[in-house]
Parts: sequence; C-alpha cells; structure tokens
Amino acid sequence: MTEHLLLQAVADTTGAYRDFPFIGSRAAVWIAAELHLMFAAFVLGVPMFAVVAEAIGIFGKDQRYDRLSKEFTRLLLIAYSATAIWGAVLVFLLSTLYPRFWAYLTAIFGTSMWVYVSIFFFESFTLYLYYYGWDRWKYGRAKLVHWGLGILLNVWGTTVMFIADGWLTYMMTPPRDITPSTSVASIKFWEAFMNHTWMPINIHRLIGNVVFGGAIVGAYASYRFLAAKTDEERAHYDWMGYVGNFIAISALIVLPFAGYWLGREIYQYDQSMGITMMGGFMSWLWVIQAFLIAVLFLAGNYYLWVGMGRIPGAERFRPYTKWLLAVLVIGAIVWGTPHTMIADSRELAAMGGSHHPFLGVLGVMSAKNTAVNLMILATFLSFLMYRRANIRPVVPWAQSGTRIQGAMFIVAAVVVLFYGIRGYFVEAIVRIGYSVYQVGAVLACIVFVTIIDVLMARGAQSLGAIQWGKMPARSQYALFILAVTFTWLMGLMGFARSGIRQHWHVWQVMPDTSQYAATPALGYASIMISTCVLIFLALVGFIFWLGGLAEKSTFVPAASTVEAPHVGH
Amino acid sequence: MWAINLRIFGVVLGTLALYTLIANKIPQMQSEVPRALALGANVTPEQLVSAGDQLYHGAGGCTACHGLGTRAPNLLTDEKGQGPIGARCGKRESGKDCKAYIYESLTSPGTFVVTGYEPIMPDLSRTLSPQQLWALVAFLESQGGTVDVTASDVPAASAASSGAAGAGGAARIANGSTDPMEIIRAAGCLGCHKVGTEGGAIGPDLNHVGSRLSSSLIRESILAPDAKIARGYEKFKGIMPKTLGDQLSAAQLESLVRFLASHK
Repeated sequence: MTEHLLLQAVADTTGAYRDFPFIGSRAAVWIAAELHLMFAAFVLGVPMFAVVAEAIGIFGKDQRYDRLSKEFTRLLLIAYSATAIWGAVLVFLLSTLYPRFWAYLTAIFGTSMWVYVSIFFFESFTLYLYYYGWDRWKYGRAKLVHWGLGILLNVWGTTVMFIADGWLTYMMTPPRDITPSTSVASIKFWEAFMNHTWMPINIHRLIGNVVFGGAIVGAYASYRFLAAKTDEERAHYDWMGYVGNFIAISALIVLPFAGYWLGREIYQYDQSMGITMMGGFMSWLWVIQAFLIAVLFLAGNYYLWVGMGRIPGAERFRPYTKWLLAVLVIGAIVWGTPHTMIADSRELAAMGGSHHPFLGVLGVMSAKNTAVNLMILATFLSFLMYRRANIRPVVPWAQSGTRIQGAMFIVAAVVVLFYGIRGYFVEAIVRIGYSVYQVGAVLACIVFVTIIDVLMARGAQSLGAIQWGKMPARSQYALFILAVTFTWLMGLMGFARSGIRQHWHVWQVMPDTSQYAATPALGYASIMISTCVLIFLALVGFIFWLGGLAEKSTFVPAASTVEAPHVGH
Repeated sequence: MWAINLRIFGVVLGTLALYTLIANKIPQMQSEVPRALALGANVTPEQLVSAGDQLYHGAGGCTACHGLGTRAPNLLTDEKGQGPIGARCGKRESGKDCKAYIYESLTSPGTFVVTGYEPIMPDLSRTLSPQQLWALVAFLESQGGTVDVTASDVPAASAASSGAAGAGGAARIANGSTDPMEIIRAAGCLGCHKVGTEGGAIGPDLNHVGSRLSSSLIRESILAPDAKIARGYEKFKGIMPKTLGDQLSAAQLESLVRFLASHK
C-alpha cells in the first residue's frame, strides 16, 4: 500500500449511526429482525391452516378438526404478542442505531407505516374475537360467522405482510430511476412500494409461512406426544404431528418454484446482484441450503415411513422405501454439488481447472433440477403409499387406475430425466426453459395422481384403523429436527436476501457507511442464525408452556371412536 | 419428563451445532466495502495498478465472473489464444485504443459484448468512483499490455492532493470529532493497522502500542512516520501518510495519542 492509501468512505457518517453495546448495531438489528420475522411467519402461517381445519370440521362435520383448529389458534394467541414485542424492538433499534437510514425509509413509506399499524390493530382484535368467541359461536350460522372471522384474520395478516414486504424489497430493488442524488420528496410511493421483487417475495413468504407454521405445530405436537400421560392424549398429538408435518412438507414442495421466480426477478433486475447471490461471495451458501433441504426431505420421509408401522396393510409398501431412500440420497448429493465457486489460483490448480473434472458435471443446473424434481416425486410417492396403506380400493377401475398412476410417475420421471440430459447439449437460454417442462411434468403428475387417488378411495375397503399413538419416540425427534431445520433455513435465506445488497442500505441508492458495512462470511452468519434459532425456540417453548398452564389441551376424549382420517380423505 | 426435555434439548443443540460447524468449515468469504481512493496529483501508474489489483480481487467483485471461463471472458489469463486482456484490448473495437475500450467496458458494458457471452456485465460507474474505475483500467492494461493511464486521466486526483495538504484539510477528518476510534476509522488507519478486532496487518498492531512506545514517540510516529520504523516493517517505510499533522487538530492529535498510549 502506498500513499494512495485506501480510505473508508466515511465522510458523511456523523449522526448517521450509533453503536449498540457489546454485540454492535448489526448484530442487535439482526437478532431483532430475525426473531420478529420468525414469530411473524408463525402467526401468519398458522391462521391459514387453522381456517382450513375449521372448514373441514364444519363442512365435513368432524369435530376433531374443529378442536385441532382451536388448538392451533391458542398457540397463535400468545405467539402474537411476542411478534409485536419483537417488532417494536426492531423499530426502536433501527430508529436509534440507524437514524439517518430510518428517516429515509419513513420519508418514503411513512403513510404506509400508519396503515400498517392500523391494520395490526384490527388484526389483533379479530384474533381475540376468533379465539375467545370459539365456544360462543359454535353452532349454525354463528359458526359460519366465526369461520369468516378466521378468513378476515388471514386477510389482515396477509395485508400487513405485503406492506412490510414493500419496504424491504425497496431496499433490495429500488426502481432504476432512483439514484443517490434523487430527492426523497420526488420518489413516488407506489413506484417504490410495488418494486421489482415485491410480489415474488410476497408469494415466497406466503408459502414459506405455511411451511414454517406447519413445522412448529408439528414440533409442538411431538413434544405433547412425548409428554402425554394417556393413550388418548398420545393418539391426539400423534395425529396433530402428522397434520403439521403433512402441511409443512406439502407446502415445501411448492416453495422452490416460488423461490425460482424470485431468483429470476433478481437476475432480471440486476445481473450483478443475481451473480453475487448465486456465483459470487454467496455461492457456498447454496451448498449449505442443499444440505438443509436434503435433511428436510429425509426427515419428512423418514417420519412417514416410521408412521407406516402403525397402519395395518402398510407392510406391502415397505420394500419400496429403500429405493425411495436411494433416490433421495443420490438426489441430495447431486443437488449439493458445487459448480462455479470462487476459487483462488492454487485451488483452481488443485482442482485441475475452474470445475472439478467429474463433479463439475453434476454441479450444473441440468443435474440439479433433475435431482430436485426426482426428490419431489419420491416424496410424493411416500405420501401416496401412506394414504393407500390401510385401504383397498373397490371401484371397478381400481387396477387400471393404479396402472395409470404408475404410468404418470414413469412419464414424469422420464420427462425430468430427458430434459435433464438434453440440457447438457443446448445453449444456456434454451436450458433454462427446460426447467419449466420438468416442473410442469412433476406438478401435473402430483395433481392428476391425487385426483385419481381421491376418486379411487371412495368406498374403499378398510384394512384396519390407523393406530394413532403407536408411534416410536424416534419419529417425534424427526419432527423436532424438521422444525429446527426449517427455522435455520429461514434464517439462512433471510441472510441471502438481505446480504446480496452488500454494503448498501438501499441497493445502489443509499450506501451503508457504518463500521458494519461489509457483509460477513457464512461462518459468522451461521453463528448469528443459530443464536436466533435458539432464542426463538426457547421463547416458543416458554410460550407453549405458558399456554399449557392457562388451558387444558383439546385432545379428543375416549368417547369418540371415529377413526381419525388422513388429511385429504 | 426431565429426560424427555434433555433429549429434546440435545437434539436441538446438536442440529444447530452441526449446521454451524458445516457453515464454518467451508471457505469463508466476506463481501468487502469498496474503499474510496485518495490519489495524489503525482500518482504513478504503478500505484494505480496496485489499487486496481486490490479492487479486482476484492470489493470490485470482478472474479465472480471473469476468470471462471464460463460467464465472462478470462481477463488475467489467455482467452482463445489472444492473450490476457492487456494484450488483446486494443484489437477489440476498431478505432478504440486499449484504454478507451476497457473504460467503455466498465462504464457502458452493453456497447460491445464479446461474441459467445451474455450481456450480464453491470455498469460499474453506478458503484465505483471515477478514481476506482481508472485504477481498474490501469490494472487490466497491465495484464499483458502497457499501462498508459496517468494522473491526468483521474479527475479528482489533483483536487484530493491539494485538499489534504492545505489548511482546508485541517479538522476535516471525522468532522473534527475527538473520539479516537472515529479519528482512526476516518483517517484510514485501519487500512494497515489493527485496533481492537478491526483493521489490517500491513502496519504494526496498535493494540499494545502503549507498552512499546511512550506518548511522545506515538506522537512522533503520527506526525513523522518515517522518523523511526518499527522492527520488521522496514520495507514499508514511506507508506504511512505524512499529512496527518495537517489534517488533525491539536485536540484530535492529543486525543489519539492518549488513546493509543493507554493501550498497554
């Protein structure tokens, strides 16, 4: 370094930043934002399936689902306060530690912040009405009104999330005509609000919240299962855990498609931002993500396979599980194969080039898309076997129906493999289009096979009731691993989304000139994420314990002999 | 019940520890902040190349695409038998010499896209200062070619120099703040010296400087850095700016000396 000493551009930092004791401003805001988001994801995801469960209870005349819905909502009630508390902490930290940046945001989005608070107010009281009115508005038209309150709760919650998404996506993808010299007063609100990534983030978060809510409910049920004192209680929480896992994994299958849309929009907005995300300093993050998703797929399938042990008739499907496991493991390995990593000259020399001579072939998108689509098909097949385990279809076309289902699986797998292999021989722009055919084939298979299955299950002969509660304890720990992994994954993806802005508060508009402007490496980020997950789970555990003090659980008493049906029946 | 709680706690902690461990075992890359360049009016091509080298391999983010041979052309190594970028840049566009071609590629990348590649290069003038851009041009020219970027190309070079040397530069550092850490950050000391957990390793670590040097020696090292060179750092003689005496107020200087002397 010579006299052209590289100087930090700190000329305008006076009054823009304050520091937080011990852990620093960045860590303080990181923890507050992450915990707020985790609680928010839970309180936005749970009402969605609480309303669906209540509807199944009303229209399917199955009280079990109504009770399940109420128990979901009870968890929601206390978690809601925690969401608000962490939201307030986040606002106070932002306004005191990053006052100039906060002033900038409020100058553009101030009005929407007032609307946000108002809707939050309505949402709170709708939730109180929904929960406390449960037993009062239990029958007839009043029950429908109560269900309407649940729908309204979802509308408020979704609106609140969409508003906040406008602020954060503006930080990532502000309209291109806004520059550092643009006067804040001249920025049009709607243009800033409905920016490039607003809707993709909305959809991604909407689905992600369902996944997250399902996983946390599953973990709650597994804890209650392990702590249960009676067989009836154990049966109830076994069933609840299954429902939570079913919801989480079902929504997880759709989530990558929403993520793909978001990624594409980021690339379209700014290639360099996309490259930073996928091939720049964040490239290793996706290897970690692949590992986490492999854990999710394996744990979710493992839970189902163990669960088949309590279903009479499931023995006939058991030999297939080892093949499904092989597909999942091989798929996970391919998905996790690195491709174009940033490497120095020594690493490149050791590797023999910019790509590994053998593994480089598996690291490309053709191989990865093929792997993930086959993993989704394998998981769907696990669900199907679980559904079919204790029934024997009696419709006259049952045999042909099963053959058609099998053919659909084969066709989908062949389409996925065909375009996966062909992708190696075409230009990148053509190859990207192939992923649409692969995804389309898998989704079509899932939809049509499910329709056939539902029709085929009508009047099916039962091979015996599911023995809810007769589940080994190890299966419940799989649900815990799912919840921890989902939560950690959410923290990791939050880091990716926020980190691609690098040293900008608002991408290429407002630079971060604080001492924390550099975006940390994954090692530091992982410590922050684990800390947040630990705090979140500890608080959730405490909140659920509080909930247990206040009210007894809603498990179905022994009087009911109705077999708990599968979700989807 | 306690056994169940402990087992759950173990599963949660074990899972978190596994993920944290894996994330810490992979290569660690931090996204650095591009630093402003303070170039003197007499900046040499070598100094520009050196600054450009740091940008290229660091905060400029160039290596994410260039060098892998897939997303964008190799710049530092041979590309299709035409040599590195400095050797081929003058032949890319007719009527454009090497300097003009590289500058255009950085600031208006869509004007000419090399055959076989997608137009994915961002306009770097949105993120880098003119000084940084010219430093990059100089560095790329040096890769197999001749560097012809001079101080006259760099728009703010002379202004930066005169500003620092004159009285106008006094108390500009950290806006006159006497907070020693603010001064250290604003004066760019952390570019070479380590203070606390921040800073580089080019110059001596200042964390225990108070145990090695008296207050008067610390003051002398700030005002006349070449008067005495710490053992082992002889080859860096002349690197530390000699302008801090002009840029710091007396209160700032004394605050800084007291702060460093207290680091024993």
